[in-house]
Amino acid sequence: MSLSHFDHYAPATLEEVFSLLQSKGPGARVMAGGTDLLLKIRHGALKPKYIIGLKNIRGLKTISFDASAGLTIGATALLAEVARHPDIVKHYPTIAQAARGTANPQIRNMGTVIGNLCNASPAADNAPTLLAMDAQIRIRGPEGERVLPLDQFFKGPGVTALVPLEIVTAVHVPAPPPNTGTAYLSLSARGKMDCTAVGVATMVTMTGKTCAGVRLFVGACGPVPLRAPKAEDILRGQELTEEVVEKAGTQASAESRPISDMRASGDYRTEMVAVLTRRVLREAHHRALAC
Amino acid sequence: MNQFSIVGKDVPRNDARAKATGSAIYTDDVKLPGMLYGQILRSPFPHARILHIDTSQAASLPGVRCVMTGEDTPKVKYGNWRLFPETQDEYPLAIDKVRFIGDEVAAVAAVDPDIAQEALSLIKVEYEELPGVFDVDAAIKEGAPIIHDYCPSNISVNRKIKYGDIDKAFAESDYVREDTFHVHAVSHAYLEPCAAVAQCDLDGRITLWTSTQVPYIIQCLLASTLQMRENDIRIIKPFVGGGFGGKMELRTWEFCAAFMAKKTGRPVKFTLTREEEFLTGRRRHPMTIHSKVGFKKDGTLTAKDLKIYLDGGAYNAMGPTATFLCGNFGAMLYRYPSYRFHGQHVYTNKPPASAMRGFGAPQSIFATETQMSLAAEELGLDPLDIRLKNAQVSGDTIPDVATISSCGFIEALNKVAEMSDWREKRKTLPKGRGIGIGCYSFISGGVFNWFNTQYPFSAAEVRAFDDGTAHLLTMAADIGQGCDTVLKQILAEAFGLTMEDIRITSADTAITPQADLGAWGSRLTLMNGNAVLDAANKIKAQLFGAVSARFNLNVIHEIECKDGKVYPKGRPDRSLSFGEAVAMAQKINRGEPLVARGYYTPRNKGLVTPSFSFGAQVAEVEVDQATGVVQVQKFWTAHDCGTAINPMAVEGQLEGSIQMGLGYALSEQFVMEGGKTLNTNFLDYKMPSSMDVPPSEVVHIETYEPEGPMGAKEAGEGLAIPTAPAIADAVCHATGYRCKDLPITPEKILRAKRDR
Ligand SMILES: Cc1cc2nc3c(=O)[nH]c(=O)nc-3n(C[C@H](O)[C@H](O)[C@H](O)COP(=O)(O)OP(=O)(O)OC[C@H]3O[C@@H](n4cnc5c(N)ncnc54)[C@H](O)[C@@H]3O)c2cc1C
Repeated sequence: MSLSHFDHYAPATLEEVFSLLQSKGPGARVMAGGTDLLLKIRHGALKPKYIIGLKNIRGLKTISFDASAGLTIGATALLAEVARHPDIVKHYPTIAQAARGTANPQIRNMGTVIGNLCNASPAADNAPTLLAMDAQIRIRGPEGERVLPLDQFFKGPGVTALVPLEIVTAVHVPAPPPNTGTAYLSLSARGKMDCTAVGVATMVTMTGKTCAGVRLFVGACGPVPLRAPKAEDILRGQELTEEVVEKAGTQASAESRPISDMRASGDYRTEMVAVLTRRVLREAHHRALAC
Repeated sequence: MNQFSIVGKDVPRNDARAKATGSAIYTDDVKLPGMLYGQILRSPFPHARILHIDTSQAASLPGVRCVMTGEDTPKVKYGNWRLFPETQDEYPLAIDKVRFIGDEVAAVAAVDPDIAQEALSLIKVEYEELPGVFDVDAAIKEGAPIIHDYCPSNISVNRKIKYGDIDKAFAESDYVREDTFHVHAVSHAYLEPCAAVAQCDLDGRITLWTSTQVPYIIQCLLASTLQMRENDIRIIKPFVGGGFGGKMELRTWEFCAAFMAKKTGRPVKFTLTREEEFLTGRRRHPMTIHSKVGFKKDGTLTAKDLKIYLDGGAYNAMGPTATFLCGNFGAMLYRYPSYRFHGQHVYTNKPPASAMRGFGAPQSIFATETQMSLAAEELGLDPLDIRLKNAQVSGDTIPDVATISSCGFIEALNKVAEMSDWREKRKTLPKGRGIGIGCYSFISGGVFNWFNTQYPFSAAEVRAFDDGTAHLLTMAADIGQGCDTVLKQILAEAFGLTMEDIRITSADTAITPQADLGAWGSRLTLMNGNAVLDAANKIKAQLFGAVSARFNLNVIHEIECKDGKVYPKGRPDRSLSFGEAVAMAQKINRGEPLVARGYYTPRNKGLVTPSFSFGAQVAEVEVDQATGVVQVQKFWTAHDCGTAINPMAVEGQLEGSIQMGLGYALSEQFVMEGGKTLNTNFLDYKMPSSMDVPPSEVVHIETYEPEGPMGAKEAGEGLAIPTAPAIADAVCHATGYRCKDLPITPEKILRAKRDR
């Protein structure tokens, strides 16, 4: 099917974006790298009349890091840039790894982390880690800015907390507490480059031998990336022995709500949530102890 | 013995630069003034009667120039098996019924693709839905819905082979085993979707640019379906982005483009989308394979009884050939003193399966190889040894079918074992890691004339010029496999010229000599190579005459073409340059240009092929015990393709084969529900990407095929066969899970583990 017809705008300021969004009405759509959006248009799932490209907006591409304030990834920062940014690689290795594990070089040179979040696919590879690291999403509308914890951002497949005229300007990740480790693992049917069928991310903070804090998120096993609070409860305040990790895996698996689809059966996904949960916990635990 | 200058060298491909720089012109790049864009309306039902089609609204949409249905056509059935007209079961557009989701019902040509698309939505078709059948079991059950009226059993082809006293052989066997295998459909997934552009001149003659493997077959079948004369149709094959068997029949869009170009007087183009390709495209035959084999205690084979059902989909397509070949391949690789085969091709309400790289062999040999490994296990033999014990050798005959000429199978088995450190690894690899073997044999072109061609199987015309160059014309279709390069190499070698001295024009039915059956069955290197040599030898005879006269040579001299010169062997001082020799030969003929035609038709070569390739492949895998994910670590391949005319091109074939075999074994499948294909894009059709392909090592086993040009035989399809059985065997070695139904998925591995 050929691409439907649309007008393309490439404004240089956010003010222009909002005035375009206001004047063009619901037929308008913002675009970062277009790697999700154009496919949807091509398949007839979306038929926007106006596309407002964000890549020309000054400052929106910025990636900034401060040891106390944390990390900010701008809306048009590319997956490729996030994957190799020295501060991210050093201080947020799992965020870099998730970006590097998304798609292929061509797509990473076009697509963005924020686009990956705004597209709100339950399988988005960048969501679970950012959720586990307690990221916040910065939203701007004509009225001003609001900040939302990322775990309140996803509302369903393809649906976010954004209201008309709002766009995301950045995602902010706090500086992780000392003795913290993170990990993300995913599985898919093909191998290296594929849509994730199950993904699990965690952030573990240790005090001595005990797990002082933990966040655990499962991707592609529900309408949105899901938190596994009861599995976290099993871990919090405990020594992360094999037995505890084993139990947490089983619990995370019980908390997931996967469907069967072309990419994997629900049963396989459920079983894999347990396997991956245990693996990311061990890995994050190990990293927490190493720092 | 074989001192070649260009043959056997890694000559860069003829098409490499054009493709790498993006200047290669594919069918969809062909743009003609006033060209219309065609689209096809397809059936939404797997099985339905067409009651009524109303095209009036579509026809009156501004910008629409032509709307056609089956009623507008001459209603001539077609199919590649012209020798058996009853197998020709397809119309360009549905006449009475639709038989699969995607079956072509109507076509539109408009001034732009969007208008054509919109027009499709304005065509009103009234259907009466009929019950459908979606697998072999349902299709052959008593009282199953009949898909084609002429064929109430839904079994459209029966093929039997039998030799030896099989019952006696089983009775005298020490060990007999029976297994059932299920293999699935996969897509050719060529990167260039099908496309065609037709133009009609003022005399009513058609020129069709089309992405095809078989220009001559398209020419003939288009002529018969349009009720035109063959010579009034010209087929041009531009660059083709892969075919793998999926582009070897006349297809609806080729017919409709020509029909509508004739009707409107304007060129018409069709280009399929990837979704159309996945939803409705040809695919590899799913098969149900019942195989019973007998052995002596020491592992010597005694008998094989093979029964195969092919799930053919809604039309025969190339199914009859696949039915023949899976039976022939059942008897290959090993020496079966007695053998019985019964193949049945079954209609179902799914997109037709057809030829696909290996043409029945990947399925049949998956069963052979898996069963050999199973038997080895039970008989306490190393899988390698049971193969060595039974391996076919040069001179073996398959009664009434074929005699094996050159054969490097045993050498390949030994070599691959050595390269992979087989014996050591088979014993010492830890749990979760495994090593497995798969072997293959394949044909170098078929000898059975099912198309009923009235011409030689292959032809070449060679023109030699006094500037020291030559022009090779051939209908052979380079579809990315590299035959343009290989044929040039053969000619350059024969003439002692360089690649730069040879110009090639190929696959244009109005210009290149009649005829060639096309690019399938791994036939071109051997068959067209022989035609090129035949033509070259005719020219050389004239050049030798000229040199002989010029130097007043004794008649007993042998003369050769080498390094740009023509001279008596051992006397390079008495030489003419190639160009001088041509000039002289031309003078002798009073100016007549030096042109010769060469032909090849296999004669007295049994029922299958003039020569077989052989090879063995070992895969090493690592299986994640908790997730069931299989990682292939490495492949080792040793194979016998006779003389490798272009080793780099052969390696290219191997790499592509491994990529396809990897997908066949582990990830690719059509997800279908009620005849509908659900995964219609590369996101969900899991074809391995370049990142998934593991490292591989290869050794070419040196043999010389007496029937092949300069000793060559096939290297195109055979290599696509061993990968799936090798991976399956390695997975079994690693996990104990023995796959009898492809593909091997993590879920199957985990289920088997739980069940144990
Ligand atoms: C071949 C291929 C492979 C892929 N592999 C993977 C993979 O392995 N893992 C994975 O997770 N994804 C994968 N993807 C999906 C895709 O690349 C990512 O989701 C990408 O990160 C989206 O970013 P983008 O900048 O291209 O977004 P766009 O396509 O530009 O936008 C996506 C959506 O978000 C909206 N949007 C974008 N920016 C904003 C903003 N600032 N504010 C509000 N709304 C906004 C758009 O309107 C649109 O609806 C793959 C895609 C392709 C084509």
